[in-house]
Amino acid sequence: MRDTVLLLAMNGLIWGLIIALIALGLSVIFGLLDIINIAHGDFFMVGTVLAWFSLSATGNFWIGFIAAPVIGFLIGAIIQRLVIQPIHGAAALSIVATFGLSLILQEIVRITFGATPRRMLAPIQGTIPLFGVDYEIYRLFAAGVALAALVGFFLFLQHTKLGTWMRAVRHDRETAVAMGIPARRVYVLTFGAGFALAAFGGAVAAPITTVDFRGGVDVLPFCFMAVIIGGLGNLPGTVAAAVLLAFLEGLIQSVADPTVARISSLVLMSAVLLLRPQGLFKGFTK
Amino acid sequence: MTRRYIEIGVAMGVAAFLIAVPWLIPALTDNFWVSVITEILIWSLFAASVNLLFGYVGLLSFGQALYFGFGMYGVALGIDHLGLSFWPAFGFGIASAMAMALVSGVFAVRLSWHYFAIITVVFSLIFYFLAVSMKPLTGGDDGINFSLPPVFRFGRMVWSLTDPTFQYFFVLAVVSLCFFLMYRVINSPLGKGFLAIRDNDLRASLIGLNVYVLRLIAFVMAGFLAGVSGALFAFFGRYASASYMFYQVSGEGVVWTIVGGAGTMFGPLVGTTLFIVIREIVSSHWEHHSLIVGLLAILAVIFAPKGIVGLWNGWMMRLDERDAAVSPAMTLQADP
Repeated sequence: MRDTVLLLAMNGLIWGLIIALIALGLSVIFGLLDIINIAHGDFFMVGTVLAWFSLSATGNFWIGFIAAPVIGFLIGAIIQRLVIQPIHGAAALSIVATFGLSLILQEIVRITFGATPRRMLAPIQGTIPLFGVDYEIYRLFAAGVALAALVGFFLFLQHTKLGTWMRAVRHDRETAVAMGIPARRVYVLTFGAGFALAAFGGAVAAPITTVDFRGGVDVLPFCFMAVIIGGLGNLPGTVAAAVLLAFLEGLIQSVADPTVARISSLVLMSAVLLLRPQGLFKGFTK
Repeated sequence: MTRRYIEIGVAMGVAAFLIAVPWLIPALTDNFWVSVITEILIWSLFAASVNLLFGYVGLLSFGQALYFGFGMYGVALGIDHLGLSFWPAFGFGIASAMAMALVSGVFAVRLSWHYFAIITVVFSLIFYFLAVSMKPLTGGDDGINFSLPPVFRFGRMVWSLTDPTFQYFFVLAVVSLCFFLMYRVINSPLGKGFLAIRDNDLRASLIGLNVYVLRLIAFVMAGFLAGVSGALFAFFGRYASASYMFYQVSGEGVVWTIVGGAGTMFGPLVGTTLFIVIREIVSSHWEHHSLIVGLLAILAVIFAPKGIVGLWNGWMMRLDERDAAVSPAMTLQADP
């Protein structure tokens, strides 16, 4: 009993770190472009598929870790330029546009990759004993990579010129433009970065979940939950909420079935929305 | 004046077509399209429920599938488990959808904009997962089938939806009635209150409108529309399934509405028709028809951000201006 609780709690924690990566992309896109991105789950799915393709093309798993975010960034930048920019951040229209995008991405993957879900073998096999449970090494490794990517992204936001631009445009677009920041280019880069984060999350998660053209459908509500519970536009809050939610779901799953776990986190989210719409962590982080 | 004539002509043409469908369509193609048009009518009511909230009150609901699903399950469970006949089951489906809308609306309409969109999708997800997990009652994703009770029975005469022509006219009558009711509501003082909230909720509250109550009324009304369409769809398909409560169904309703033209009476009908006709035509030739649907949604918001009906209204407006240049006095009475 204690073992299952630990195992599922660990699984939840690790899944939470990966979700945090994806949700961070969603939050960045939302905060800067005011886009409600229905296609974000599919950005993640594209990441898993890119990892699968790069493994089957080169035989080397690690190339996917580079290829997924890079290709994701490029696709994201192109999408922003072609689809998102013409609608000028009108949120209602962005829902329709990204819904269309979601259909297109899923369909392209279905054509190229096929409709059957596949499993990918983890590049690191074996287990290690952890709190008395034999735990898969790759999952621990994935958690470490996700954590490193999260830290890396926050460092990028705080300490590079581009990151500062992104924060500036998000804070006050008019002033940022007046100071000579190329806001349009920042938008393109932000959307690309959001896609890259989700695609990287996909590449990391590919050996843990299944690679499937509908793989993003379940991830999307979870990411939105993390963004809302963490507080719209509160990036560290988003990360904390993702980890917390997945951890809780893992815990509940050890005593009840996954659906009950999912329902409880949805109820928790409704409560947060109604009682603390500014997010759970406002006041802690700022 | 030209605009008046054109619009009356279009309306009469559409009405004549809809009445002639059961005879016209089999003569032109085959009976399959009668059932497609029936389905379009049902789904356009679903889109109308999105439109009532978004187009007229300014609340973007991403969870209307929940009330559609309640209407659907109300009918299916009413017939299959409670042994109700046609009309009580119909009423039960609509009543459960409205009750659900009232309960969730009490919480949801306190929030606005993004938060409202998200809490509606969260509520619908909660009940979707409940419906999936309560398999003995709901049948989960596989759903439950039931056999249709007759609609009317006078002595030995029996009318039932198993007759496609009767089914078509039944759906047409119910959908038309709902659109008429919606038209009356929008043009009543209540409807003006909705519009005031859509345009500026702060100002609406300052002139003494109770924004919360008005939003709640609109939410329950939208629940009614979605519930009716769900109930009709259950009768149409003779089954109910949890998969119709998933957020992607709600999303389709939003897309149909916005592409057709939010805030216009017939925008949802136009959008629904466009997408379902394309789906039916393309899917029989090419299995990847979603590609076209997705592309169309994107092109529509880029090139017609006010929707197809919005585009049409723009053309009509230009006609008015041209007329105004010819005879300014005539346009004074025209509706802007």
